Amino acid sequence: MNLLRRALALTALPAILLGAWWIASDGSTSFYFPPLREILAEFGETWTADRWAADVLPSVARLGAGYGASCLLGVGLGLLIGRTTWLMHLAEPVLEFARAVPPPVLVPVIMLFAGIGDTMKTAVIVSGCVWPILLNTIAGVRSADAVQLDTAAAFGLGRTRTLVSVVVPAASPRIVTGMRQALAVGVILMVISEMFAAQSGLGFAIVQFQRSYAIPAMWSGILLLGCLGVALAALFTLFDRAVLHWYHRMRERSA
Amino acid sequence: MSRNDDRSPAGTRPAEARSGPDRPQARRRRHPRPRPRPASPRRTPLLLGAAGVAAALAIGQILPHTGLVDPDYTPTTGAVAAALADDLVRSEFWRALADTLTAWALGLAIAVAAGAVLGILIGSLPFVRAATASTVEFLRPIPSVALVPLAVLLFGTRLPSTLLLVVYAAFWQVLVQVLAGVRDIDPVAADTARSFRLSPWERLRHLAWPTALPYLMTGVRLAATVALVLAITAELVIGSPGLGHEIAVAQSSGATERMYALIWVAGGLGVLVNLAVRAVERGALGWHPSVRSEATA
Amino acid sequence: MLEADGIGKDYRVDGAVNTAIDSLTFQVAEGELVCIVGPSGCGKTTLLRICAGLLAPTRGVAKVDGREVDGPPADTAVVFQEYGRSLFPWMRVGANVDLPLRRLGLTRAERRERVAEALGLVDLAGRERAWPWQLSGGMQQRVAIARAVAYRPRLLLMDEPFAAVDAQTRAELEDLIRDLWHRLGVTVVFITHDIDESVYLGQRVLVLSSSPTRMQAEIHIGLGEDRDQLATRSSPEFAKLRGAVWKEIQAAKKGGGE
Repeated sequence: MNLLRRALALTALPAILLGAWWIASDGSTSFYFPPLREILAEFGETWTADRWAADVLPSVARLGAGYGASCLLGVGLGLLIGRTTWLMHLAEPVLEFARAVPPPVLVPVIMLFAGIGDTMKTAVIVSGCVWPILLNTIAGVRSADAVQLDTAAAFGLGRTRTLVSVVVPAASPRIVTGMRQALAVGVILMVISEMFAAQSGLGFAIVQFQRSYAIPAMWSGILLLGCLGVALAALFTLFDRAVLHWYHRMRERSA
Repeated sequence: MSRNDDRSPAGTRPAEARSGPDRPQARRRRHPRPRPRPASPRRTPLLLGAAGVAAALAIGQILPHTGLVDPDYTPTTGAVAAALADDLVRSEFWRALADTLTAWALGLAIAVAAGAVLGILIGSLPFVRAATASTVEFLRPIPSVALVPLAVLLFGTRLPSTLLLVVYAAFWQVLVQVLAGVRDIDPVAADTARSFRLSPWERLRHLAWPTALPYLMTGVRLAATVALVLAITAELVIGSPGLGHEIAVAQSSGATERMYALIWVAGGLGVLVNLAVRAVERGALGWHPSVRSEATA
Repeated sequence: MLEADGIGKDYRVDGAVNTAIDSLTFQVAEGELVCIVGPSGCGKTTLLRICAGLLAPTRGVAKVDGREVDGPPADTAVVFQEYGRSLFPWMRVGANVDLPLRRLGLTRAERRERVAEALGLVDLAGRERAWPWQLSGGMQQRVAIARAVAYRPRLLLMDEPFAAVDAQTRAELEDLIRDLWHRLGVTVVFITHDIDESVYLGQRVLVLSSSPTRMQAEIHIGLGEDRDQLATRSSPEFAKLRGAVWKEIQAAKKGGGE
């Protein structure tokens, strides 16, 4: 019963909104706002298996590669900087600046270096995703509890074991926060790097539709992009629950 | 992991000094007998930070000469600074800066107003809140750049194009925080308000609004950063007037130095926005007993 | 076993030198249970951290087994006051107890056995799969004690371990420490601000003076080996010792300057 109600509450409004869109747009003759019926019909026609293989999957693969590299780089550097006080003081202002640069403006820079290939698009994603992860990892490491570190030292845990068993788990809530922010940035950069200059990809396809005034197809692309964002956010929530289940349950208890 | 700075534990963090010698901050030390260091604990981080900036600038100056990177693509720090100086006396630069800041401020204002009003309305009505929760979670992760083609179709390369993206992205930051704030209303305070028969308007004015205000400020802080990123992004991708557009022009016309100079400006703007909103947040919440952390919802 | 030879510690606060510990000299013999008591803020924790090798003294040396302490010594375990922060919330109880054992070169089965045994000794048998934050404060501190016990240290340093638990639990934990000390033959240094606790637990009580910290007095506790929360605490002998320690602490506060 409870489950049913929750499922209903979860889906009711999205369903109503979609329904409202459907009805309101049904008789639409506006060029820019075609009926939802038409968009959905177009969706099936546009996003065929070929298109998935040519545009969607390569986009997602580049996002995965860039995001994965950012996680490794951000967490690795973050641990190093967070554990080294002088290095942290040295790097802090530079990192604050780097984070404040809107990531998309790096697209033209990286285009200079890497051309317009896969490398460029992946590098763009890394250049934007790495900062939230790096800065959150540093903050997480710095906030590791003094008593926990004392405990590790008192029992003679070595550097590696302290890092793996104490520092990383202590920083993990912040690291995951950074990774969540980075994921949103990554999706944006994936699209932009393709919009800017590319011959394939989801962003490229959507811009193509817009330029050729294939409006229902463009809308279906926007819809697909939205679904991708939602799906990635949902996947990330699963990841979060799995990695930080101890943290969430601890907080539930103390609440 | 050089945590052996136990010679100056209190100086680097004033808060620690008050806890007395019974709780020193120093942790594990690895060298048997660390020598006493010269006592300048408070200035050390600042000096190191300045050194870090200087080192970054110096590397930027030297690197192009080493042949490790292509000097055509990476001008020296000096060349970029010169290009920046050139730009600072040109009216186009200031117009672009003004355009960007206009889009940022206008978009932020719309997003904050809409987010605050809707957030308090939705949050105050439990039924609506439950029903909209999933929708908010559904709409929020939709990347704002998905709206780029729509913006271009509707408004072309004018200011409203930029605004559409800025408002969409910043709105969610505000809304989510305000919703968390309204949820945080103390049930005892709510019961008190009801028992004194405060009208709905009074309850809103004296209960919901003060409780949600710190969260709203957090939302504004997050939204301000996002709004700037989106403003410059929109200009870059769509071509609406502003710094982002200037960067795109500099890149396509081969004015590499100018492109880097404008990127510096964009980063500097980001830093300024961060500092400004933090200062405003502190000022607005001076009365508040606790510093709120961001709602994770 | 443990030797403090003229230990002193200064802190620099805004350029001014603040002497936390002036000079402390004492010995703890193998197998002894010594309580160190002193007014709050007298540098007890600083002293323990120096003995545990977590902090370098400004003057003097601490020695364990005749070797100078220049890092956490082997065979030494520490139980901190803040059980909630010294247990790792991302590990289950069993993993918390197991963590220090992993570098001892034991087999998996040996480790599991030690963990089970240690948890049994603190009355938490079979709770390996629980999370620390699911347990009450007293139980969490027992897990921390089990972690120290499983490590089989020869020297056990305890820093006000029961300061944050309720009175009932505290009495139980005090008896647990006496019991473990008897059974395991470990040397225990127990730091507390509670006079009754120091008299009830210790064979010997060292009283520290406050700011700057010096050794105020050393009192032998001739209460015999079998102690009981009710009988021992109501005995005239206990009252006399308690009074003696109390007097020394009052003198320490006056003599301490401030």
